[in-house]
Amino acid sequence: MSAPISSWLARAGRRVRFRWQRDRLDRELREELAFHLAQIQAEDNGAGLARFGSSTLAHEQCRDLWSFMSLERFWQDLRYAMRMYARTPVFTGVSILSLALGIGGNAAMLSLINTLLVRPLPYSQPERLLRITGIFPRAALPFFQTRSHSMEIAAVSVGSSFNLTGEGSALRVTGSFVSPNFLSVLGAYAEIGRSFRPGEELPGSDSVVILSHGLWRERFAADPGILGRVIQLDGAGRQVVGIMPDGFAYPSSQVQLWVPMRLDPARFAEYWGTEFVPLLGRLQPGASLAEAQAESRSLVTQFRGTFPYPMARDWNADSTVIPLQRDIVGEVRGKLIILLSSVALVLLIACANVASLLLSRATTRRRELALRAALGAGKARIVRQLLTESVGLALAGAGLGVLVGSGALSIFKSLLPASMPGMAQAAIDWQVVLAVSVLAVATGLASGLAPALSASQVDLAETIRTGGQRASSGFWSRVRGLIVAGEVALTLVLLVSAGLLLRSLAKLSSVDLGFDPARVLAVQISPNPVFCAGKTGCLALYDRLLERAAAIPGVRDAAAANSVPLDGQVPTVPVDVEDHPRTVDHPSPMLWFGAVSPEYFRVLNVSLLGGRYLTRADSLQSAPVALISASAARHFWPNQSAIGKHIRPSSRQAWSTIVGVVADVRHYTLSQGLPGFVPGAIYMPYAQSAGENGQMPTAMTLLASVHSDDARTRNALQRLAEAQDPNLPVGRVRPAEEIVSGSIADFRSTMRVFLGFALAGIVLASVGIYGLMSYWVSQRAYEIGLRVAIGATRTRILALILGQGMKITAYGVIGGILVAVVLTRFLAAFLYQVEATDLLTFAVVVALVTAVAAIATAFPAWRATRIDPVKSLRAD
Amino acid sequence: MLILRALIGGPMHGYGIASRLRQVSDDVLQVGESSLYPALQRLLLNGWVKAEWGASENNRRARFYSLTATGKKQLVLEREEFARMVEAIQKVLSMA
Repeated sequence: MSAPISSWLARAGRRVRFRWQRDRLDRELREELAFHLAQIQAEDNGAGLARFGSSTLAHEQCRDLWSFMSLERFWQDLRYAMRMYARTPVFTGVSILSLALGIGGNAAMLSLINTLLVRPLPYSQPERLLRITGIFPRAALPFFQTRSHSMEIAAVSVGSSFNLTGEGSALRVTGSFVSPNFLSVLGAYAEIGRSFRPGEELPGSDSVVILSHGLWRERFAADPGILGRVIQLDGAGRQVVGIMPDGFAYPSSQVQLWVPMRLDPARFAEYWGTEFVPLLGRLQPGASLAEAQAESRSLVTQFRGTFPYPMARDWNADSTVIPLQRDIVGEVRGKLIILLSSVALVLLIACANVASLLLSRATTRRRELALRAALGAGKARIVRQLLTESVGLALAGAGLGVLVGSGALSIFKSLLPASMPGMAQAAIDWQVVLAVSVLAVATGLASGLAPALSASQVDLAETIRTGGQRASSGFWSRVRGLIVAGEVALTLVLLVSAGLLLRSLAKLSSVDLGFDPARVLAVQISPNPVFCAGKTGCLALYDRLLERAAAIPGVRDAAAANSVPLDGQVPTVPVDVEDHPRTVDHPSPMLWFGAVSPEYFRVLNVSLLGGRYLTRADSLQSAPVALISASAARHFWPNQSAIGKHIRPSSRQAWSTIVGVVADVRHYTLSQGLPGFVPGAIYMPYAQSAGENGQMPTAMTLLASVHSDDARTRNALQRLAEAQDPNLPVGRVRPAEEIVSGSIADFRSTMRVFLGFALAGIVLASVGIYGLMSYWVSQRAYEIGLRVAIGATRTRILALILGQGMKITAYGVIGGILVAVVLTRFLAAFLYQVEATDLLTFAVVVALVTAVAAIATAFPAWRATRIDPVKSLRAD
Repeated sequence: MLILRALIGGPMHGYGIASRLRQVSDDVLQVGESSLYPALQRLLLNGWVKAEWGASENNRRARFYSLTATGKKQLVLEREEFARMVEAIQKVLSMA
């Protein structure tokens, strides 16, 4: 029979009315039943009474009809649960906190993963966006654009620094060189103004710029009148043609403006050399990814042959086409997965813990439950009551977890590259809250089901008679043992991960830097390239700055350099080396490039291994000289002295004579020293560092070694450049030590998060062990009393309990070691000079876990030795 | 359905319905008479019967139930349904 909606609604309406008038209905029914009974009595003198059945039952059934019984039962259960929570605040607190920890972590991870991996890129038809892997010279852009049939291709450089002057104090901004079609390829639009027009990549018409929303707001007070105005970038005027909408962050959120990528074959170095850029594409209608991949491979091969200078035969040989989204998250994917799995581990531990606590509570409440069963509560009703309690706990945990989650989210964000597009959008939104609620209910059910089932299997008569102390089923005890062993195993995995990272950090901190960052201050001062096109002006400025800096009280020595070790810059230069002619198989080697004033080595305390340091005598007019690092010397001249040999940056005519060899400095990262493709470093006197076109390196850093690092000295350094030229953008004065530690900040915070997880894990696990053993002892009080009575010593009892606890721990430890051996492999990329299966770490962690487990067992064991045989035997 | 059928003759109180059912079925259908009341409440909820207080034969206050329009419709529906089922059962039985 199909009930139309309207009749269903009418039914619901009547039910509500019934619920409203329940008391009256109740009275009426009572009267009616009484009438019926009276009639029976009157008719056949009570003989028909047996016919009638239970009037109480009838009454109950009617009452069910008048109300929303399942809902009311739920409220009843909830109220009951609330009373239980209030009566056992410690249990409740521990459960809610551990669940909040687990659920909060998961909420944060979910929002990150949702934003970065799941949600499509915020451009139109994002699934058709592609990235051609590898990087290409500007010349590749027209080559690919004219030949590709499957893709529309754009180029977007990673971003480089510009000086923005004439708008308040001079500012260093990050700008990206782009092909004019980049917005149409991406499928994004300017908020106001327009995109670049075709042809604006041509020399002469490229003096335009598009600003990011952030820069527009901060520097130009969000004034729409800025459109059409000319602003000064690197000393050259560019007309503002558009403003991007808030949140647009391609290629990264650090990029504040976009300028057309000039395509000018006449500028050989720019067109073919200096800056290689990533290419991206939009799949043409009807084309497939596979077609694009095949086409791109053949185009890369064709293009390789067009280089006007020898290019390595395997250049970009592995270049292919991948979806843009995968390219953007590429490097963080592994990290996200590791984070997610450790967060999931913590949730599992929290879950297991709550389950274990609930199990033990279910046993202590056996008597109460048996009583309720005796009073007529059905099994389903009891299970539901217990599940309500555990789901309630989980929901409370989830509520707190959302708070924990927003805290955790900011920590996780700090672990990932801040410049990732879309990262800022990750937040705890309703989707995440919804997911968390589902997670919480699932958690509550998962952690409550076993205890509820165990509790509902109560043998009524037995339990009420014995007082519930000894009636326990072996099966559920074993389940608890298994849960706790699992907790120990998971904790071990987390601790091993944290331990491996901790050891890596210790190794990193004691690494030989090759220089001494102590008591050195650094500040970036970068004149416009135009200003430094004439060598003398730039040189004079720096000489003047160095002179003034050295005169500041407290400053011992001052130097200038194009980069500071570990500051994140990667200044590399292709070089020609005597005895090593360039060929197709051996293209120009790349070296780390240092354009430094002679004081550089003294200020940073870089030791000299042979020959001499640079001096003031190595000037613009004198013969070109260079220093190389020990690794470069070994690489090029393994069996002879490098001193007296010749070397030059590939773009120059004049050869420099190598006059000294200095120690290797960790320029790139603490763990790597130099990037893999760079065999060493070359240092040239700043005075001689101008390129063939006379352009000096402009982004220079002033380094000062000081007696003591105080605010006055810092202030003086900060003001120094301003006094010389108000149009000079000046960075913040930073101690070199801060730069060094900043280079591993990312690593350190990853380690901290793992350590935090591991600590949370071990606390939870010890609570779990403690709970289990206390329960075990209280269950066996009778048996222990008996043992004591027949002569067992305290030591034997202690050994019995400890042995039991250790057995469970041992299972957990063995399981944990197996899992850790499998899982830590994924950490390998983050480790430094530590094997993923480092024996020492494993040994220490196992010892630690065992010790903590022993302590957690010791309390119940100690209590067991205090059991008074007289009391425990008489209790039953 | 039986209750609905019993009410077709006019309003009746609970005891009356019970006696009627007993008589009509010649004591074959004997259920606990108390379970009549939850069933009546369900019918009320479905809107198939309505109830009014009135005086019984011996002048006591009693609640009289009567069929509503939807209740009558429902009875027809259920009788057809039941007839079909009986027919089906008979068919199956006669096949054997």
